[in-house]
Amino acid sequence: MKKQISLKVNNKEYQLEVPNRLLLVDLIRDELKLTGTHQACTFEGVCGACTVLLNGEAVKSCMMLAVQADGQDITTVEGLENNGELHPLQKSFNENHALQCGFCTSGILMNAVEFLNDNPDPSEKEIRHALIGNICRCTGYQNIVKAIKEASKQL
Amino acid sequence: MYPAPISEYYLPTTLEDAIRMYKDAEGEVTFMAGGMSLMQAIKSRLITPDCIIDLNRIQELKGISIDDNSITIGAMTRYKDVAAGRNHLLTYEALCDAAEHVGDRQVRNRGTVGGSLCWNYVSACTPVASLATGAELEILRAGNGNTEKLVIDDFLRGPMETALEEGDLLLSIKLPKSSAAAGSAYKKWGVVKDALPVIGVGIYVELNSTDKCCSARFAVGGLADGPQRSRNAEQVLMDGNISDSDCLQEALVAAANEIETVSDPWISAEYRSHLINSLGAEVLETSLNLARGRLA
Repeated sequence: MKKQISLKVNNKEYQLEVPNRLLLVDLIRDELKLTGTHQACTFEGVCGACTVLLNGEAVKSCMMLAVQADGQDITTVEGLENNGELHPLQKSFNENHALQCGFCTSGILMNAVEFLNDNPDPSEKEIRHALIGNICRCTGYQNIVKAIKEASKQL
Repeated sequence: MYPAPISEYYLPTTLEDAIRMYKDAEGEVTFMAGGMSLMQAIKSRLITPDCIIDLNRIQELKGISIDDNSITIGAMTRYKDVAAGRNHLLTYEALCDAAEHVGDRQVRNRGTVGGSLCWNYVSACTPVASLATGAELEILRAGNGNTEKLVIDDFLRGPMETALEEGDLLLSIKLPKSSAAAGSAYKKWGVVKDALPVIGVGIYVELNSTDKCCSARFAVGGLADGPQRSRNAEQVLMDGNISDSDCLQEALVAAANEIETVSDPWISAEYRSHLINSLGAEVLETSLNLARGRLA
């Protein structure tokens, strides 16, 4: 029913015993208290609010069991800043007013970080295509797209 | 939504271990690939496995390889890698077209083509694109421990059903290297961009040097009975003159007439038939052009 796992989250090593059925998002939020990762749709995996990096790749942490992350390297939104300095993408979201309620923001940041690694100079169309897995119910996409475009010039 | 208790979870690194673990496990056992569909089923408790055997760390099931005669896609190859694999997949770009627009980036990073084939959801893209390409599937049978090859037509059964039996594992998707000038394409239409398709069409054609179609496969998905081929459309393409737009139109009409569509609260049967025709036109043109570009 339970399994001992070790994983790295935001460069910090953790060793813990988790129930097999625990979702990765619940491990991150409830056990590690990293509540920047959000949870909204809870079932279908369509909202993208729980997006984290698993070995550098954007994945939805509600679509994985915590035990599947054994031995893996996870980055959450809390891991984006560097010595108190916000990541260029975070700065760009701030400067371009790319968040209204902010609920979707962490998931979008984590998806966009990896997207910009893959595609450092994206077109608006490519950015919009990359955002399909993240829902902003304030529908503030205009500024989100703008912020990602602006950040691509900084990175 | 939260999964029911799961007694055992195993993370084998070899195929051999995975099979042994399956045999030794008790209760309801399930293999897990990318988990993009399975986790939904587990969270909604449609499936309540006692034991999960996670295939994500088995390297031998991952990646695309080419030898003199064929291309092999490991069952645990992710959509992301298939989408980026045009150079390796040669004439089978329909599979790349499909993988490129499955769900979203996060799903493509994790979801696998083998998982999609085994799940065989009615409106999934991979089964349709695979049916179009005429892929051969390599299966490890749990019963006798033998490896068996099945053509995709025999593998896919009704919605969410395949030829896999208890404990069987899909190992790879094999595609013969074509000696003819061939090309393929896939396109879907959904209510929002990259959504599950209302209709998806995949076509594979082979041409001989006189711009004659010597082989064609016309597959349609998003149907109540699962992915299907239109043999009538294929016959029209092989019998007719593909340089003539009337012949292409005849093939599309044949497909729309042959394939039975049903209405749901959102999309009527008539509109589905219209989509077979209009998507089919685009996909046919793309695949013919790709094949023509390969004529020596």
